[in-house]
Amino acid sequence: MHEMGIASSVLEAVDKERRRYPGQRAAKIGLRIGEYAGIDCDSLRFCFEALVKDTDLEPLELDLEWCRLEDGRRGDELEIAYLELEEAHETEKVET
Amino acid sequence: MNRVAIEKKVLNENDQVAGRLRERLADFGTLSLNFIGSPGAGKTAFLEGTLERLAAHTRTAVLTGDLQTENDAIRLRRYGYPVRQITTGGACHLDARMVQTHLEDLLKVGLELLLIENVGNLVCPTSYDLGEDAKVVVLSVCEGEDKPLKYPGIFRKAELMLLTKIDLLPHVPFKPELALENARKINPEIEIIETSYTTGAGFDRWLEWLSRRAEQKRALLKSPAEAAQVG
Repeated sequence: MHEMGIASSVLEAVDKERRRYPGQRAAKIGLRIGEYAGIDCDSLRFCFEALVKDTDLEPLELDLEWCRLEDGRRGDELEIAYLELEEAHETEKVET
Repeated sequence: MNRVAIEKKVLNENDQVAGRLRERLADFGTLSLNFIGSPGAGKTAFLEGTLERLAAHTRTAVLTGDLQTENDAIRLRRYGYPVRQITTGGACHLDARMVQTHLEDLLKVGLELLLIENVGNLVCPTSYDLGEDAKVVVLSVCEGEDKPLKYPGIFRKAELMLLTKIDLLPHVPFKPELALENARKINPEIEIIETSYTTGAGFDRWLEWLSRRAEQKRALLKSPAEAAQVG
């Protein structure tokens, strides 16, 4: 169940990154997961949603890109690709 | 919507700690191996067999990970080498910070060999770099031949596979040639040694492998010309 630790690391990165953009909120985080990375995507999604629930990051979408060797990828990817930000409502603004 | 490229590893913090650890181990030419296998695969027994056969002067240390108990450390300490038990509480893998914390004082003595027995698990430990030179996957003949296909991540990343408990082959329906074929399907480069703690089979080959890898590591401490000769 190391997906909980993985999800937690992702959210720490999101929190750190969003603070660089005052007035905006994190809307979507994109990850690349290799087929040999040892990650169960369903489990990761479950853990991610559980950690986001009832926090100031909610709602935050998780976009998982599955990377396979036969598609010319390395297969061991466990990477944060991007973060999408949108204009925050007054109550959602993060203190930086 | 504003998309910002991040392009960094999820376990960036762990990888940074592991990288620093790797550098410190390299300063002494320490060969560091991370043993990963299911609970009951025979990791601890294999390490016992190894410690029993190491030349007495070898500066070796062992870290052994489990959710609870000091049992494995107690078993391994009988051979006279420093052994640290890492009890993770509930975590299903070791991470680089745990290794760093338990290794701190041992790093100063200039180890030749560091053996890390990960928590029994074929999935989670695969993702965490511990600063090792190589991952060693341990599979026993009491498991299924299709383990490499079911858990490809670790077989893909491992440099060496140990097939343990081969003395039990007459008593179990395990087909070793099929397990080896499956492992090579996932990782054509993987080296494989068949072993038995009970009979001592395979330990000569293992010690040769260990000696070759340790020499390669030490060669990096020498001049580039000398290192090239060792290959």
